[in-house]
Amino acid sequence: MFYIKLILAFFKTSTQSELAYRSNFFIRLLNSFLNLLTGVLSLVVIFNQVETLQGWDMPSALALLGIYLLLGALRELFIGPSLESVTGMDGEIWTGTFDFTLLRPVDKQFLLSFRHWRIFALFDLLLALVVLGAAMGLLGSDLSFGAVLSFILMLLAGLVLLYAALLAFSALVFWNSGFLFTWIINDLFQLARYPVSLYPNWLRLILTWIIPVGLMTTIPAQALIGTLSPWMTALTLLFSLSSLFAASILLQHGLRKYTSASS
Amino acid sequence: MNHQGGWELIKNTWQSWLQHRGFFFLLAFGWMLPLLVYLFIWSAAAGDGSIAGLTQETLAGYYLILILTNQFTYATTNWTVGDTIRMGQISRWLIQPMSPLFHALSAEIAGKVVFMLFSIPVTGLLALIIQPQFNLTWSQGGLFLPAILVAWVLRFFWGYWLALLAFWATRADSLLTLQDTFIFLFGGHLAPLALLPSWMQPWARILPFRYMSAFPVEVLTGHLRHNEILWGFVIQAGWSLTAIILYRLVWSRGVRHYESVGG
Repeated sequence: MFYIKLILAFFKTSTQSELAYRSNFFIRLLNSFLNLLTGVLSLVVIFNQVETLQGWDMPSALALLGIYLLLGALRELFIGPSLESVTGMDGEIWTGTFDFTLLRPVDKQFLLSFRHWRIFALFDLLLALVVLGAAMGLLGSDLSFGAVLSFILMLLAGLVLLYAALLAFSALVFWNSGFLFTWIINDLFQLARYPVSLYPNWLRLILTWIIPVGLMTTIPAQALIGTLSPWMTALTLLFSLSSLFAASILLQHGLRKYTSASS
Repeated sequence: MNHQGGWELIKNTWQSWLQHRGFFFLLAFGWMLPLLVYLFIWSAAAGDGSIAGLTQETLAGYYLILILTNQFTYATTNWTVGDTIRMGQISRWLIQPMSPLFHALSAEIAGKVVFMLFSIPVTGLLALIIQPQFNLTWSQGGLFLPAILVAWVLRFFWGYWLALLAFWATRADSLLTLQDTFIFLFGGHLAPLALLPSWMQPWARILPFRYMSAFPVEVLTGHLRHNEILWGFVIQAGWSLTAIILYRLVWSRGVRHYESVGG
């Protein structure tokens, strides 16, 4: 209960400070639309040339795009800004103000993950849901109740995987504070726009087992169109939970290594 | 006009930028990824055969050269010009006894040196993995040089006049995002021109964005007939001239409008 209250308080203060920048709102709106436009137009261009791409047709690729936008919006809503404010450029680790964060009587991982919110990302979330809804409409009669249920489960697993990857990369900053590790994972996340099976073998292996951005969107999309086997479902759940566990351990180790930056 | 001072500034900037290689290498990595994504997507679409006359090997050749060309013509400076105006630092440029354009040029050249140190080896490594196929001739190579230089001039001045709108509007840099989106769609990033749907192709040929990135690549890889090359150069030169005229206009009006605050 205490943590829910804290999240609400964080959300409120973040929103108040962001609403002070009103013209930013329109810029954000423009960027959200551009993001959506390029995503959808890319699919239009690709599927103008081919009917299917290794088993993926336009509706299923659109569903995957919706999942990609949804995860991106959730990252943008709180995970990204919260982690960035500590480990990013001019973050608390660089400036040394992380000391004050550490002194607070709250779980550190919680503080690192939920402190800053970007209310404008809710609009991205809405656009993502529209895309997902349109894709489900196109898939239409192929959707079964079980598929939707398994889709929601795998979407959560994808979110956990994304969170674990961002947390782990952020934790690396305790070993090398000058390097922007979160940028790498943000860059690589772009590869999750398309099904991982479209990439060459060597890249597919990396994106599945080492930096699992491929799994985050491909697996939920497969669950939705009903091509995901039950044992892959179980394996993904296991993999996402163990990634979360491993990332938390890495962060604990990192926190112990932390020494303040200023005098 | 003091050209020697300008040259010293250029040398200075690039040496200081080399000190922060890691940061710039990360930026270069981020710009490379979207192009790689579409290389892999179109390769998957071509399969063992070809798509619109392009095989996996020629696609690889096109996109690898595009990665380098795009890196070369990308005008990173334009993103910082707006900040310089907003923060009032441009006052210092204005009183120095040389053209303020040298400041932008010095950052441009420093950027090219640092980014190429990353992009050339990485592209070379990728070429070893994905085995591109080129059929280069001396005449194509000879035409490529002016094409890429004018592409840089066009992209630099086009972004520069947009960035200079910061004299009037604080968030003019969102126009640069718009420019990047158009380059992605019409500049041969999302797909080589031949793979675009027929309703997009005329727009790609008329708008300036193709001439900032894909045109030199098409010239080099021999995708164009003689009169297409000729017309390409004419349109490219026309847009470049327009961009330079717009830059001079916006600059002279902007400086008169400019007033710094603070003390």
